[in-house]
Amino acid sequence: MMKTLLKVDSIETYIGHYHILHDISFEVHQSEVVVLLGRNGAGKTTTLRSIMGLNPPSSGAITFKDQNIHGLPTYKIANLGIGYVPEDQGIFNYLTVEENMRVAMKKQDAAHEERLEWVLGLFPDLKKFWKKEGGHLSGGQKQMLSIARAYVNENELLLIDEPSKGLAPIIVEKVMESILEMKKTTTIVLVEQNFMMASRIGDRFYIIDDGKIAFSGSMKQLNEDDQLKKKYLGIA
Amino acid sequence: MKIKNISNWSILLVGVLLCFVPFVTNETGLLIMMTNIFIFAIFAMSYDLLLGFTGIVSFGHAMFFGLGAYSTAIFMKRVEPTMEWFFISVLVGIVLSLIVSIIVGVLTLRLKSHFYAMLTLAVASLFLVVAEKWRHLTVGNDGFTFRVPDVLKDRPTFYIICLVLMIGIFFLLKRFINSPLGRVLMAIRENENRVESLGFVPLYYKVTATVVAGVTASLAGSLFTVVLRYINTSVFTMDITLNALLMTIIGGVGTLIGPMIGAGLIEFAQEWITELADVHPIFERWIIFFGILYILAVIFFPTGIVGTVNKWIAKAKSKRIEKLTPKDEKMAG
Amino acid sequence: MEQIINLLINGISTGMLIFLLAAGLTLIFGLMDVLNFAHGGFFAWGAYCGVWFYSVTGSFMLSIVFAMAVGLILGAFTEKVIIKPVYGNHIMQILITLGLMLVLTEMLKVFWGPNQLSSTAPEYLSGSWQIGNVIIIKYRAFIIFVGLLVFGIVQFILKKTRIGLIVRAGVMNKEMVQALGINIKRVFMYVFMVGSAMAALGGAMLGPYTGSIYAEMGLEFAILAFIVVVIGGMGSFTGSLFAALLVGLNQSFLAYYFSELSLAANMLLMLVVLIFRPQGLFSVRG
Repeated sequence: MMKTLLKVDSIETYIGHYHILHDISFEVHQSEVVVLLGRNGAGKTTTLRSIMGLNPPSSGAITFKDQNIHGLPTYKIANLGIGYVPEDQGIFNYLTVEENMRVAMKKQDAAHEERLEWVLGLFPDLKKFWKKEGGHLSGGQKQMLSIARAYVNENELLLIDEPSKGLAPIIVEKVMESILEMKKTTTIVLVEQNFMMASRIGDRFYIIDDGKIAFSGSMKQLNEDDQLKKKYLGIA
Repeated sequence: MKIKNISNWSILLVGVLLCFVPFVTNETGLLIMMTNIFIFAIFAMSYDLLLGFTGIVSFGHAMFFGLGAYSTAIFMKRVEPTMEWFFISVLVGIVLSLIVSIIVGVLTLRLKSHFYAMLTLAVASLFLVVAEKWRHLTVGNDGFTFRVPDVLKDRPTFYIICLVLMIGIFFLLKRFINSPLGRVLMAIRENENRVESLGFVPLYYKVTATVVAGVTASLAGSLFTVVLRYINTSVFTMDITLNALLMTIIGGVGTLIGPMIGAGLIEFAQEWITELADVHPIFERWIIFFGILYILAVIFFPTGIVGTVNKWIAKAKSKRIEKLTPKDEKMAG
Repeated sequence: MEQIINLLINGISTGMLIFLLAAGLTLIFGLMDVLNFAHGGFFAWGAYCGVWFYSVTGSFMLSIVFAMAVGLILGAFTEKVIIKPVYGNHIMQILITLGLMLVLTEMLKVFWGPNQLSSTAPEYLSGSWQIGNVIIIKYRAFIIFVGLLVFGIVQFILKKTRIGLIVRAGVMNKEMVQALGINIKRVFMYVFMVGSAMAALGGAMLGPYTGSIYAEMGLEFAILAFIVVVIGGMGSFTGSLFAALLVGLNQSFLAYYFSELSLAANMLLMLVVLIFRPQGLFSVRG
């Protein structure tokens, strides 16, 4: 049950001249939700991008299902079964909801259509706005679309970057519910600053501070440790 | 980018040596070619200021060159070929270039590099078209001849004047680049967003760079027409801008010395290859060689001749230091 | 009145030719963030190859196809050899594609000499029709027809096929397309090739339109194409058609009444657009 799906091993990542990630290492096991916590600018987004190959690490190793993925082009990494929901949702603004979803669907056969229907069941709003341009959706709907798009391909691992950012609490609830539902069939690495959401969904956590792993443990531990919360997350 | 003191002295030395050339030879052909080299070196250095130091790609640099050239030519023709009027004509060219560079700069430098390149190309071609159509002023493509002040007529004298100006402008531009203003320009070249977040307004600095470059180019243009005492619309063509581009890239972008070397190289090569054209017609298309050389340079030697030489020197130095440093010191390092 | 219709047709056909050149440029820029300064070179090569092939085989239609093939090959070569090494570095791209433009233009002179080459339309496309008092030149109608055909085909591909969807998505957000598992770099290659073929097509059609071709025409038309891309919006295919027609009509009418002003007028138009709506009239960049 505790099979290691993703292993990040001592990676260093630069953006231009800037050394963002220092010796980042962590593991993600099948079927769990690992949360990356930390302040703004700590390097959480860069970590996800490094895994996806968008900002490849300059040293260290990343393995997915025992296969080395660091150094591979992004599209190959994605095709191995990793879905990515970026911080800005990455919605194709002038494409409709339908077109956004279709870009993600490799084949247009019956099996894929079935999967699409099932995913849309999790996000009923999307069906309502099927023909609407992505740019015209509300913040919450865009987030749903971005998640649905990453999920429609039966990806074994989902990297989700701050899905609750800028959303009203009631929408955040909805997003949480969808993620909890997805948790049943896939593994998730979640970057979040919203601690409430993180603590309800996450199994384990890593705190990233200044590009380094500062702390890690089970979510239960973190929930009970107020000092830790205050120090790294600014939560009193 | 530090240009060490040793290179300063060597430039002066070379300059002094070159001063002797007119006393050693009487060949006007050689003198004219070298004078042209000095003039184009000035032009290329102004281009390097934009490209190498500020990171701006302009395809319209010829317009300043042409403005300076026509300004001088028209004054010499229409008014009087005296030194006073010559200075005034150079000044007029400079002022016109100043105005044009400010207008074009403010309107377009805020956009991405592609836009700016396209725009300068378009504006320069506009100048070309205007020059060709306004025959009343420019006599269009046929061009016209004119007389110059006696002082400038003497080839050796003019040679020395251009040589001195080239060296002078080299040191002036160097000071400019090493000034606080110049440092901001180089920072803009590296990372404009960062410069902005530090509180500077990149646009002001880029416009300043354009103005300085434009004014220098205009001076080069004014000098250029004096050599042949003839002018036509070719001074506004893409060929002129391309010359600056080739000289700067092949010589070494961002080094200031590079463009000077590039100017020498390309002028010599142009002469030599056109002579070879008598032997075989393929040499008439010499520009292809330079085009290919240029492409190779951009891919493999983006720092040009001077830059590559600098790298070799740096490598050799570090190798020497490695040899001298015992292993223990390195570990403690 | 007849004069106006004449100028109108003239303007639209010129616009179509510019569209063929600009459309490729705008898609390439929109998708790949690459501004290919050698694009005009493909245009000129298309013209010369078209004329040459026509003189050798006598078939005008085949010569156009040949020109497009040359465009495809030049496009593939350029993307692989010239653009790829400097991908991501805008300044290098600009410099290197300009160098290529230089070489392409000079190579034309090597093969065909520095003088102008005359170019004529085939029998069945020469001459004109007369409708009432209006004279419609057959060749111009042909250009308009081809232009609309190309527009229709590409628009269909963009809107109704998967690869078109990918191209449109890529223009808006390249990274996301890659993160969805699509090798966008291969798509780049196709778009570049198609864009180059369109430029070559434009060049091949221009020959009989103006009667003669010369090596520098590449750069001259490229400038007009740039103006169109700026006005229409980088990356907007429909924008480039609209803007090209605008520029073509502008050219046609102004050239008739005030010939000196035509280039200036188009440039002024571009400057106005840049000041008030720098992303172009129809922007699509996400």
